[in-house]
Order: sequence, then structure tokens, then C-alpha cells
Amino acid sequence: MTATTKYFRNVYDTLKTTLVGMRITGKYLLQKPITVQYPDERLPIPNRYRGIHYLEQEKCIECLACARACPIDCIEMDAVRHGKELEWITFTLDYQKCMFCELCVYPCPKDCIHMGTEFAFVSYDRSEFVHDLLSYRGMSRDAKTRMLEAEQKKKAKEEAKKAKEAAKAALKAEAEGKEAAGQN
Amino acid sequence: MLAAVLFAGAPQSGTNPIQGLLEQVAPAAVPAWAVVAATIGIGVGITVAIVSVIAMFGTWMERKVSGHIQCRYGPMRAGWHGWLQPLADGVKLLLKEDLVPKGADRVLYVIAPAIVLASVLAAMAVFPLAPNFYFADIDLGIFFILAMTSTTTIGVVMAGWSSNSKWSLYGSMREAAQVIAYEIPLGISLLVPIMVAGSFNLIEVSNDQAGWMGMNWYIWPWVNPFMLPAFVLFFIAILAETKRAPFDLPEAESELVAGFMTEYSGIRWSFFFMEEYAAMFLYSAVGAFFFFGGFESPLTWLVRHQFGLTVGVQAEAWSLGAILLTLTSALTIVVKGFAGVFLMMWLRWTLPRVRIDQVMTLGYKYLTPLALVCVLGAGLWEVFVKGFLPWRNG
Repeated sequence: MTATTKYFRNVYDTLKTTLVGMRITGKYLLQKPITVQYPDERLPIPNRYRGIHYLEQEKCIECLACARACPIDCIEMDAVRHGKELEWITFTLDYQKCMFCELCVYPCPKDCIHMGTEFAFVSYDRSEFVHDLLSYRGMSRDAKTRMLEAEQKKKAKEEAKKAKEAAKAALKAEAEGKEAAGQN
Repeated sequence: MLAAVLFAGAPQSGTNPIQGLLEQVAPAAVPAWAVVAATIGIGVGITVAIVSVIAMFGTWMERKVSGHIQCRYGPMRAGWHGWLQPLADGVKLLLKEDLVPKGADRVLYVIAPAIVLASVLAAMAVFPLAPNFYFADIDLGIFFILAMTSTTTIGVVMAGWSSNSKWSLYGSMREAAQVIAYEIPLGISLLVPIMVAGSFNLIEVSNDQAGWMGMNWYIWPWVNPFMLPAFVLFFIAILAETKRAPFDLPEAESELVAGFMTEYSGIRWSFFFMEEYAAMFLYSAVGAFFFFGGFESPLTWLVRHQFGLTVGVQAEAWSLGAILLTLTSALTIVVKGFAGVFLMMWLRWTLPRVRIDQVMTLGYKYLTPLALVCVLGAGLWEVFVKGFLPWRNG
């Protein structure tokens, strides 16, 4: 290639490559943006995404399986048992420690702790990172009625038993009296 | 636009529309020098306002264009599609601390941004927004614009030198080297339309391109086939002149950390930004005046046709035709100017930055000789071919 042809070749190449590049960027310019206006609209999150936990408190039996499974001990729970019913005091998860490994979810015998799709979590204070997973404290109304029913049943049973025993004792006393009379 | 309507009615008293208007309304007791002073004050105010609005719209447009080229939205929060973003930026910049680095040459450091902005403001003074809406209508219009915008370089070199920072110094040295390589082809490529029009005056050049539906713009090959290559050369040269990518070597965000304005902050820094966007618009508008018909567009042609107005003749004051012509002319030149600005932004987000030696090669080895060839060809065309073209002699 002589110097002259190279010169014009350069001019041609410069203009051509610039136009090719502008065609590409122009195509992007007309395309719909792929980003979304985040807090207003969100991209779909996969079902198995490991976000912030949620707890189905009704189902939970405070077996501590999740807390034991947690490799960094970030789950803490406490409840008072009233027979079969639970009076919840606390169920917290410390997101300063949590590494979102989902190991707490698998051992749950009642399948009541899950990882949700919520991921945005900011706070002005560290203490707010200790999440309370309870939707209510104490007992639910259902659990209370169930407990009261069970207690009443128990009381009734006991009373019935007592009555039965009393009857038995009376019977026995009667029999003893007869025997004594026979001897006489 | 309101001002444009106002000025449509202003008489042309050989000076400028503002002075004409003031002379009309001022009582006889007011001395002549007071009228002149008021004219200057109002004119400077309007020019500063226009430059600020252009810079604000330019920054918003840059963000939107760059965003969409990268498949994102750009500003969306402040106002509808972020149109108030420049205002928010302005407030932020005003509130920022005004720093002067230790060891800086304080005097030069402080006046450099003022020189940069003043030069583009001065150039803006001769920029007409409509045939009857301008601050100064001087016969050496384009010459004055070129001279004034070249003054920017002095401010940039001062800023880089006085900042006491190696980045800034590199940036300003590059600017100094670059401007020499680009002023020459810029001037030479502008000679082509100047030669065809036979005038330096922007309004006269625009009037010369009047014709059916804008079919008489200089860029059309049937007017002069050397105009298109001259425009390409002109456009490359103004990219370098306004320090835009791919020739943004003085700024070179990614290597020189904003180059000559590394050390600036707050309102002084925003002066450089205002200058950049105002200069982009100004040069695009100059390109529109000298290649794309200036005020002439199908719209202005239609208005003139409907109201029976003659090119280059001041219409009767306050008539509907005059007002419409002023408005459509202003709209035409603003749209053309921002179309050029858009093209510059599009190029910025397409091409990577070239090296300084490539800039020099382009300037000296390619643009200058090719511009000379264009001037020669266009001159020969004007002398030997123009006479045979019926549409050039109407």
C-alpha cells in the first residue's frame, strides 16, 4: 500500500468505523432501558431466593431445631408451655450475624420457618437488625380457647374421677358395713 | 419566547432591538448614555440567562442521552423525567465549599473560571435567536465568535497552571497543544460557507439560504458539493474545540481526573461546566447557521409564504406575521442547535478517547489539508459551475 492510498484508506476507515459505532449506540438509545425504577418497581425475584425469614407462628412448637441448626447461633426463642399450647415470649433473628444459609429451614419438623423474597434492609441503628419474627406475643386467641377447653376438660375429667372414687369409696364402705352386720 | 414576542415589535434603529425599544419608551429627560447603559445591562442579563438555561438543559440532556445509550433511564426523580435535576445540581454546587488549594496562584486561580465563562458569554452576545432578536448584529459575527471562544483556552491554561497540580497542568498543556491543531481546520472549513455566502454576518448568511421548504441550505449537494465534507471537518474540529469526546484530552476524566478543573469545586467548577455546554450549543448553532440554513426551515418558509414577508426585510412591528416569524425562527435555530449538541453527545458515548499524538495527526495531517481541498473545490465550483445552476441565480 502506498502512502497515498493508505492516507485515503485511513480517512475512509475513520468515517466508516465511527458510523458503525454510532449505529450500535443509536440502537441502544432507542431500546427500552433494562434498569427499573427500584423502590417503585422491582424485578421479579426467584421463588427460592433466600431473603429475610418469616415464621408461621401458629405451627411452631418451639423445638429449637432451627436454633440448633444455625451455624452462627443467630436464632433465639423463648416460650412458656401450657400443656400443648405455647405462650410466646420471644423469637428473634440477628441479621448482623445471619449469613442467609437457609440451614434453619430444613430441620424444621413443622415446616414453619421460611426465607422470603424481601432483601432491602437498612437501618440507622444496629439494634434494629435483630429482627422479631413473632407476629404476636403471648398466645393466640385460638390457642387460649383451646387451652381453656383442655383445662376445663381436664377439670371435668378430674371431677368425674373424684366422683367415681367417691362412689367407689361409698360402695366399699357399704360393703364393709354389710360384712360387719353379717358377722354380728 | 415571551421575550421573543416582545422583540418582534421592537423597531430596528440601526443599533439593536433592546436599545430601540428603550428609546421608544424612555421619556425625553433620560440622557442617551443612560439608555445605552440600560441596554447593556438588559442585554448582559438576557445573555447570562440564555447561557444558564442552555447549560442547564445541556447537562440534563447529557445525562438522559448517556443514560439511554447505556440502557438506563438517567435522572428520573427531580420533576418529570428529572427535568429539575440541573436545578438541584445548581443548589448543591452553590452550597459546596469553595476551595483554593495550598500553593495555588490565587489570583489566576480565581479569575480563570471567570475568563472561561466570560469568553463564551461574549461570543453569545452576537448570536441571534431570531432575525430581530439579538444583542449585537455585527458584520464580523462569526469572526467574533471564533475569537471569543478561542479565549476560553487562555482561561483553561490559566486554571491548569495555577492549580498547582500535575493533573491540571497536563490537562491545560494538552488543551494548548490541541487548540493549535484544531483552530486552523475549524477556520478553514468555515471559509467554505463564508465564501458561498459572501458574509461573516450570521443573519445575512441565514437569509442567503432562504428558499422553498429549506431546499436552499448550503449543506445540500446541489448548492455546493464541497459543503458536506467541509461540514464533517467543521464538526470534528468543534468537537475538539469544545473539549468533547473523543477529543476530551484536557479533561480526560479517567486518566487526568477532570484535568484542568481537578482542583475546582462549587460554583467555580460549575462555570467550566456552563462554558462547556454553552460552547457546544453555540458551535452547533454556528454549524446550523453556516451549513443547515440558520433560521430557514420549512416552518419559517411557510410563515413567510402565508404572510407574504420578504427575506431580510423587517416586517411591520407587532403584526402577527412578524411575531410568528420571530417565534418559528427562534424555534428553528434552537432545535438545530440542540440537534448538533445531541450529535456531539451521541459521539461522546460511542467513541473512546484518542491519544494526544493521534489528535495532532488528525489535526495537522488530515483535517487541515482536507479543509484546504474543500476551500479550493468550493471556490472553483462557485466560479465555474454556479453560473450554470438556475436555482443558484434566482
